[in-house]
Amino acid sequence: MTTTREVIAADDATLIGRSLHEPEIFAVLFDRHAPLLHRYVTRRLGPGEAEDVVADTFLAAFQSRADYDRGRPDARPWLYGIASNMIGRRRRAEAALYRAYLRSGVHPGETAGAQVEDGVNTLAVNRPLARALLRLKRADRDVLLLVAWAGLTYQEVADALGIPPGTVASRLNRARAQIRQSLPEGEQS
Amino acid sequence: MKVLDGMWQDVPVASFEDLTGARRRLMDGMHARRRVVTAPRLLVAAGVVAAAVATPLVAGGGTPAYAVTENPDGTITVALDEMRDPEGLQADLLAAGVTADVSFLAPHTRCADPRFEGVDPSYGSPGHTEAQMRAGVERWRSFEAAQVVDVREIRIRPEFIRPGETLVLEFRDNQNAQRPWRLGAWLARAGSPVKPCTPVPDAG
Repeated sequence: MTTTREVIAADDATLIGRSLHEPEIFAVLFDRHAPLLHRYVTRRLGPGEAEDVVADTFLAAFQSRADYDRGRPDARPWLYGIASNMIGRRRRAEAALYRAYLRSGVHPGETAGAQVEDGVNTLAVNRPLARALLRLKRADRDVLLLVAWAGLTYQEVADALGIPPGTVASRLNRARAQIRQSLPEGEQS
Repeated sequence: MKVLDGMWQDVPVASFEDLTGARRRLMDGMHARRRVVTAPRLLVAAGVVAAAVATPLVAGGGTPAYAVTENPDGTITVALDEMRDPEGLQADLLAAGVTADVSFLAPHTRCADPRFEGVDPSYGSPGHTEAQMRAGVERWRSFEAAQVVDVREIRIRPEFIRPGETLVLEFRDNQNAQRPWRLGAWLARAGSPVKPCTPVPDAG
């Protein structure tokens, strides 16, 4: 496939529509979104699982692309929704990552040396956060982290998970309340 | 909640190398059905399809050229393994409730146009800009009515075809085992007869 300037400039919905006739165009969607999706999955599951989840997500998306609502130019909610399902199938791996962090204070996906800068302060906040994330219900954690780490809006999270925006808001409020309770004094913003 | 936003923010954005394996898996997955279509496997696959579908055509050497399947959701899948017997495919689509005009074209040819009056600008208006195409993909019913969903399959969605309209399908031999044909699909307006296809040379 020749990736033309028009393809690069096209929005996601246009690419998905064109990929029905030219499947290879779907690779442009991968190149566009996989780097940040990989980072999101790495934060939740660690680097060992990220590659598989990203591959599974894009394969599932490719296979169901005919059903994509092309009224939505940005495919991120669709992709992160699929990824959330894939992550849900690996709940044990996610829990294991949080537990390992509680023990070691090291996230295996972070670049080496990042802890040195202000490691004590970081750990003082991140350990309670990891403990709180571990205790959240899966549905609440999905909503919370799609907002905090993937940068999706309430409406986009609703689209991603196929739930009403009101449910997003209530899950988010509940999750944030639990997170705040876990934090030390002065770190609750 | 800034503290959570910043948690593990030193996890880097994936590099090209980080994504090489996942990208390869996607590309392999895209082509998975292409790779298995070697001659003996094709016969096996065609046999499975023939047993499963409502109206398989068995002609010539006994291998179905195509299969028309009516799906529970109201859509119709056409699996096209060989470009022969367009009239048979038309008849089977009609039996499935879709008035269609099917042409099979040799490589580097196309049907001389205009053959009919289209329901939207996707037919007969050459030189669309990217913006027009982008808008059209979302709005034009011709794109909704028939879509390529796999290497050898198209899906027809009758809900986008209004009474009296004809689904015009022009398949062109692409001389490529991995991508055996290219499809032009349009809706002819009700009351606009579709002229027979007259092949003419085409550079594309």
